Amino acid sequence: REKLGNGTGSPAQPQLRINMPSTAKERVPSVDPYGFERSADFDYNTYEELMSEYLAILTRRSIKWSKMLQGRSRVERNLKVKRYVRKGVPNEHRALIWLAASGSQEQMEKNAGYYQSLLQAQHDPKLVEAIRTDLHRTFPDNVQFQKTANPCLQKTLYNVLVAYGHHNKAVGYCQGMNFIAGYLIIITKDEEKSFWLMEALIGRILPDYYTPAMLGLKTDQEVLGELVKVKVPAVWQAMTQHNVMWTLVVSRWFICLFIDILPVETVLRIWDCLFYEGSKILFRVALTLIHHNQDLILQARNLPDICDRFKQITKGAFVEDCHTFMQKIFKEPGSLSKATITKLREACRAKIMAEES
Amino acid sequence: MAKQYDVLFRLLLLGDSGVGKTCLLCRFTDNEFHPSHISTIGVDFKMKTLEIDGIKVRIQIWDTAGQERYQTITKQYYRRAQGIFLVYDITSERSFQHIMKWASDVDEYAPDKVQKILVGNKSDEEQKRQVATAQGNKLAKAYGMDFFETSAFTNHNITESFTRLAELVLQANKKDLDVLRVSINDKLNLAALEEEEGVCDSSSDAQKTCWC
Repeated sequence: REKLGNGTGSPAQPQLRINMPSTAKERVPSVDPYGFERSADFDYNTYEELMSEYLAILTRRSIKWSKMLQGRSRVERNLKVKRYVRKGVPNEHRALIWLAASGSQEQMEKNAGYYQSLLQAQHDPKLVEAIRTDLHRTFPDNVQFQKTANPCLQKTLYNVLVAYGHHNKAVGYCQGMNFIAGYLIIITKDEEKSFWLMEALIGRILPDYYTPAMLGLKTDQEVLGELVKVKVPAVWQAMTQHNVMWTLVVSRWFICLFIDILPVETVLRIWDCLFYEGSKILFRVALTLIHHNQDLILQARNLPDICDRFKQITKGAFVEDCHTFMQKIFKEPGSLSKATITKLREACRAKIMAEES
Repeated sequence: MAKQYDVLFRLLLLGDSGVGKTCLLCRFTDNEFHPSHISTIGVDFKMKTLEIDGIKVRIQIWDTAGQERYQTITKQYYRRAQGIFLVYDITSERSFQHIMKWASDVDEYAPDKVQKILVGNKSDEEQKRQVATAQGNKLAKAYGMDFFETSAFTNHNITESFTRLAELVLQANKKDLDVLRVSINDKLNLAALEEEEGVCDSSSDAQKTCWC
């Protein structure tokens, strides 16, 4: 079967045709391009249909990106680049664009040797233990992270997390960062680049989600609640009626930046925008999921039911079709200005701090 | 729709990161064990119905992230719980030491009436044991708790410990048994009960409250 995959271009020989895979499940590899094993309930038919269209888009985008970049490793910030980013960064340019758009490239060049020095310094045993506890619990379904893999990315993951924990002592290590570092490693295939992208995300792009008080996380959950109240009021009412705290259904969305919530390809498309445009994109994604599925959510009749539905809306064709989904996030929730987010963040943060003191 | 249960309880799993809370839960509700699963982020829950003394008890079991900082989120759930599992890992002295911290947080944030049991998990890993069974027993006694050593891997004492906590919760509320549904269930539970009893016909109208 695997030989057939390589045989593109040359005319198929008769004996090969006999073995031609006849179902989508036989044609599509059981491990995705990033090393994740497809789950038992993976819908191969829908995937193959989607991919046949998406591959054409990817090819078109890839050509456009190559033309724009022309071998350069710098990208300016302008409307054209922003448009390109929203339409998806081809995987071969992803590491480069994330590094450039987030300013990580610059930081990395300015601080040559810093990452290595963090690794060589003495390490806090408590931090090390916390990280070790999660190493084998980070993407056990990814062949690159399994103990038997060679090279095994668990070691790379350990290095990035230990270095980051010592670099940003106010954060140290927070569960969830293991998944983020894991994705960065899969995409960049480079420890140091992963470290600097981590620094961009946690240090600059996201509010304080991962600090011990997790105030930024609690704030953004409430901000989402306020946005839903205005934009999808029926859902807000249902949440209130059933006494469902937002944290119960959305904390993982924010902490993991949709990793293990949405399909891998969709997460990467979201992250393209996250690195270029900032954390506002997370609200767009969340609002789109809720708005698009409000009828389903409103059918829920109790708290467990609501929780189930919030899981359900992150699966299926709507989110698998990442290209259409990304178009939707910029249309479906309507306008969402930076000023609105800033104002809501301030108000919610003040309210939480008042409640906690 | 036939009534599927008589009462609804909420139980909470607490304990350090990596002691096996999620594995205990998966073994109990689905009879599954995954040697490698992802770390729990935030809060999640599963449900199961037990029959105790002829009473159908529906239990909602809340699973929490073990890392200390997540308590800032998870402690909101303590006050909604009627029963709490304090879980440590018999191969980790540190996780056992931390039980005292978990217990004092429970005292602070959970209702007075909350029932607690102590669970030492990973009992199959005898060769790596750092906490003697006697130590577990002694601590449980000091706190007036029941104690179980369990293994999600070998399915040792799983049903026993969950059933025991459910029994304790039931006993603690026995006086009110006749009015159990009202007394131990807030509006939320009542709504859930009525839903399964088929009281609610339409919920697409969000204005309509379920229990009136």
